[in-house]
Amino acid sequence: MSALNIGGSQLDTSWFLLLSAVLFVLGSIGVLVRRNPLVILISIELMLNSANLALVAFSRQLLNMEGQLFALMSMTVAAAEAVVGLAILVDIFRVRDAEDIDDLSELRG
Amino acid sequence: MSTGLLILLLLLFPAFGAILLAGRGWRLPRIFTVIVGPGAVWASFLCTVALWFGKTNGDFTYYTWIKSGSFDVPFGILIDNLSIFMCFVITGVGGLIITYAVGYMEREDDPSYARFFCYMDVFVFSMLLLVLADNFIFLIVGWAMVGLSSYLLIGFWYQRHSAVVAARKAFVMNVIGDVGMILGTFVLFMNLHSVTYSDVFNALSHGDNGNLELAAFLLLVGAIAKSAQLPLHTWLPDAMEGPTPVSALIHAATMVTAGVYLVGRMHPIYDVATYAHAAVAIVGAVTALFAATIAIVQVDIKRVLAYSTMSQIGYMFLAVGIGAYAAGFFHLLSHAFFKALLFMAAGNVIHAMKDEQDMRKYGGLWGQMRPTAITFLVGSLSLVGVIPFVGFFSKEQVLGLAFSKPDDAMVQVLWAVGFATALITGFYTGRMWWLSFWGKPSPQRRVEHPHAPPPVMMIPVAILAILATIGGFIQTRALGFGPATVDDFLSSVVGNPAWEGGGAEIAVTFLTMILAAALFVWALYSRPWSAVVPWAQRLLERKYYFDEAYHWAFVRPTDWVAGFALRDIEQPVIDAAVVDTGIVARAGAGGLSLTQNGYFRNYVLVFVGGAVVAAVILIVRANS
Repeated sequence: MSALNIGGSQLDTSWFLLLSAVLFVLGSIGVLVRRNPLVILISIELMLNSANLALVAFSRQLLNMEGQLFALMSMTVAAAEAVVGLAILVDIFRVRDAEDIDDLSELRG
Repeated sequence: MSTGLLILLLLLFPAFGAILLAGRGWRLPRIFTVIVGPGAVWASFLCTVALWFGKTNGDFTYYTWIKSGSFDVPFGILIDNLSIFMCFVITGVGGLIITYAVGYMEREDDPSYARFFCYMDVFVFSMLLLVLADNFIFLIVGWAMVGLSSYLLIGFWYQRHSAVVAARKAFVMNVIGDVGMILGTFVLFMNLHSVTYSDVFNALSHGDNGNLELAAFLLLVGAIAKSAQLPLHTWLPDAMEGPTPVSALIHAATMVTAGVYLVGRMHPIYDVATYAHAAVAIVGAVTALFAATIAIVQVDIKRVLAYSTMSQIGYMFLAVGIGAYAAGFFHLLSHAFFKALLFMAAGNVIHAMKDEQDMRKYGGLWGQMRPTAITFLVGSLSLVGVIPFVGFFSKEQVLGLAFSKPDDAMVQVLWAVGFATALITGFYTGRMWWLSFWGKPSPQRRVEHPHAPPPVMMIPVAILAILATIGGFIQTRALGFGPATVDDFLSSVVGNPAWEGGGAEIAVTFLTMILAAALFVWALYSRPWSAVVPWAQRLLERKYYFDEAYHWAFVRPTDWVAGFALRDIEQPVIDAAVVDTGIVARAGAGGLSLTQNGYFRNYVLVFVGGAVVAAVILIVRANS
């Protein structure tokens, strides 16, 4: 198993995955509990990045570059998604002053 | 002009007239309707005269309408002496009646006025199609279309409930007959593989006798329904709800005699199918007597005439039923004259009395409406069969031929029935004339000084009165000498009966006349017979309870079945199933819509929760 030397000690892949999981859970909780649309978007970015971290970590463990390539790709997608999401948000703010995402519930059944 | 075109024009003039009136008629000045409506019929009359002069004969085929294997329906017109004869009755008497209607319908507003003449032209077209067709299919088309135009014209005053009900009744009864006709045609086609008259009649010898009897009986059902014979007669008295010219044209002169035409046209079949042929005569004689007895107690002048029409058509059925076809058609012609005359003269009275039809509320019109009273008297005497009016010659010929038909005991009985009918005819006709025109004006009369009918109404009546007076001399065979124009004219189609009408019968008839007169005087000046036998009066006033019987036998069960289907099938089963499906869908949607509450958090929670559950399942399975 390959390893990476940081400060002289070998860092196991599971640490990376643990960090990734922590970030993902933080992001999910952020999406679930925060009400500001902007913060929710940031939380989603956090979740995406945790996924990227997991990809890169596995890539290092398996000595395979595909994982890193995929991380790059998902960053691009995240950028595009952020553009679209922010544009929608700006538009919503323009039409109405919605600071609370619960106010945007007109599509309920 | 080629003959083919002339024949086509004869048929199509009324159709053109109807189309013109239906399209633009009511928007143009009234004079347009007045010219086109009767004009179309008179144009057909001129074509008929031209064909008669040209001695046209033959089967003119214009195109093939349907061709499918051995099933071949040409659109063909059969011109022979019988169809020319019928065309004369339809367009001649019809033309007079439609001209009369110009005055009679005057009070209608413009759209209704044009609509009336449009329907009348449709009727004349249908009737011409009926008599001119050279095959069973177009016969049925014409047959059904006269039923339709009869329906439209009975219900002409559609704001009146009773008229609408009467129209519906007439239509239903007629459709029963149409079904009989269609089934009869099926039977003939299955056995003889053709629908054209000539092919069917030529192939008759190859037909199975039982099937021919069946076909003849089924055709008879059609004839009975159209001609208002027992037991499908109940629509005709109610049909008097229509305007009086309609009653004169459709329910006296032409349409109701279509049954007689049918039996005459199908005479090769009836000559073979002896049982059905005898049934024709029996139905005719029984209806003649039956209708005449009801006419005794009717108080509505048009209803008396309606029952007497049924009775006279019964005579025609009797004639064609015993094989004396030409005599039947002579009576048809004479009946068209005098019954149209009676209806139109009655129409003059009704018109003058502000639409009152109850004879008990007339009285004393002899002095005030002299020309109408005289023409009505001419019609009445003709109906009774007094020398020298046309009715005498035709009715005498029918009865004389029945009296002297050799070796047929049943026909002797039928003659006795017809003889009794002639007696009753004298009685109810006298009563009708007496009540309406003689005596003092009834206290219930609404109009003190009735107005004289306008010339456009009086002239057709006068022409028919003249025809009813002298028309009989075209055929005096009943007296045993003189010309026999109708017999000779029609013999090429229907042949001559093998026996001569009896002279002894004439003597008996003279006795009848005296007896009828005596009976009449006795009835007027002695105690009213209705007080002596009140149950008989009730029986007759209820028209032998036929309407009630049909109500109980057919209307009530149908209503009950329909009500049962509505209450116990439609509502609890079909409706409930549909409604319940809706309820389930609605409740389900309500439940599911709770999840769509619009809160972003909820959707994410479900999503994340789902992802966690999926992950847990994967982990557990991977570790087990």
